[in-house]
Amino acid sequence: MRVEFITFLRREVYRFLVLYKQTIIPALISSLLYIIVFGTTLGTRISSINGIPYINYIIPGLAMMSVINQAYQNSASSIMQGKYLKFIEDILVAPLSGFEISLGYIIGGALRGLICGLGILFICLFLTDLKIQNFVLTIFYLLTVSWTFSAFGVIIGIYAKSWDEIGTFTNFVFMPLTFLGGVFYSIDMLPPLWRNISYINPIYWMISGLRYSTIGLEENANLISLFICFGFSCIFTFIATWMFKTGYKIKS
Amino acid sequence: MNAIEIQSLKKVYDTNVEALKGINLAIPEGSFFGLLGPNGAGKTTTIGILTGLVNKTSGTAKIFNNDIIKDYKKARQLIGLSPQEINLDVFFTIKKILEFQAGYFGVTSNIAKKRVDEILKKLGIYDKKDNTARHLSGGMKRRVQIAKALVHDPPILILDEPTAGVDIELRHMLWDYLTILNNEGKTILLTTHYIEEAEKLCNEIAIINDGQIIKHGDTKSIIKEVSLNTIEIELVDVSKLSLPNNIEYEINGNILKIQSQEVNKDIVKIIELVEKTTKIENINIINSSLEDAFLKLTN
Repeated sequence: MRVEFITFLRREVYRFLVLYKQTIIPALISSLLYIIVFGTTLGTRISSINGIPYINYIIPGLAMMSVINQAYQNSASSIMQGKYLKFIEDILVAPLSGFEISLGYIIGGALRGLICGLGILFICLFLTDLKIQNFVLTIFYLLTVSWTFSAFGVIIGIYAKSWDEIGTFTNFVFMPLTFLGGVFYSIDMLPPLWRNISYINPIYWMISGLRYSTIGLEENANLISLFICFGFSCIFTFIATWMFKTGYKIKS
Repeated sequence: MNAIEIQSLKKVYDTNVEALKGINLAIPEGSFFGLLGPNGAGKTTTIGILTGLVNKTSGTAKIFNNDIIKDYKKARQLIGLSPQEINLDVFFTIKKILEFQAGYFGVTSNIAKKRVDEILKKLGIYDKKDNTARHLSGGMKRRVQIAKALVHDPPILILDEPTAGVDIELRHMLWDYLTILNNEGKTILLTTHYIEEAEKLCNEIAIINDGQIIKHGDTKSIIKEVSLNTIEIELVDVSKLSLPNNIEYEINGNILKIQSQEVNKDIVKIIELVEKTTKIENINIINSSLEDAFLKLTN
């Protein structure tokens, strides 16, 4: 691989590692608080879902919630800071292709999401009786979902004119879709209408896939989850690359 | 060989503003080239197109014969840009920023570290290498900007207003440093609002106005061609002065002012004509500057 690309990638990873108190630690703490508060309070009333202890049932969803937010925030804020302070120009004038630039931002965000997701699962191995059923598939889901939302963060980072627009997606899109994607409950508990609506929520399939790989619970066809995770990561990568290649919203 | 070659370069922004109206420009290798023009003339757009920050509408531009679109990786490798606005990453130390910057242009980590130290020492900010940009003064930030342009050792330096907002001492230090770099063989393209700066540094100049190159040539020739020097003659008795009708002049108190493109030729004739009617007490010649030429060309 070219020094130019490797350097840019190193910069993106170094950025969130240096700021680990803002980028990694809070994500782990908030997920653990969710697990402790919801797992212990609701866990006493809902003992199990589909034969799985409630606290174990919510872990994959919470890990996925963290992965989505962290991956998105990383690439979106990195680009937004670069635009705001104009140091994105250093990358745009460098001999890097549109694909290399988008890949650098995406991998940076994807790694942050992956680290947070793995960190949460790792801590839960000690705090709960969670046992990961399929480690390779778990990595696949964490990585593709992280990749997808990191690429989405690149798109929004380029498109957004202010920090508010970036926050809007977190608060008004990801948060509702994640909560309605069955983080804290099984959609089998919902009335048929809401259950059917949940099926068109891609985040439901992402959580469902991770639930299958970690606790071995296949609520729906795992193949659909695999397809959705891989498909979305490819689509968003393509769009982000096209934006950098053409200079859409970045170059005048 | 030309370091930069621009042909029929046009840029129309989405707002329908025609920033460049088909400019042609050739900047020879090793020259210290000044691109001058008023605000909004098209200087930064030209630089933006050359460096990949702005998409051109039509025309071609080449960097050492590498097309900026087809061979963009090779073309960009050959340029170091110091943009007009300070654009330093606030999260990293100066040393880290420069090491990354070198890496973006293919310089390996070990070489980059050595080069960063060298440049920081030359620019007098080595002791600030572990500081972030937040802790630097405006002048120091400007030096880091120039260091960023130099860190991958490109043959072409593009400096957009490099001395904007810096004090006189630093400006002179930067002028000396840029002159050394040019003497070492680097081609420098400079845009500046300080006409004195261009006059002092540049051996070739293009004046751009309203998206068009209105004058291009070596600095001295442009001043000579466009400017009129003023001959000021202090007279003993201005009331006795009588000059032929074909001579344009101005009287201010007891001083006669006549403008001339070729002072050496004209002065003898003028003295002879004046002394026919009155005596001369003193003669003063005011040479016009590039600033006069610039103002005249750009109205």
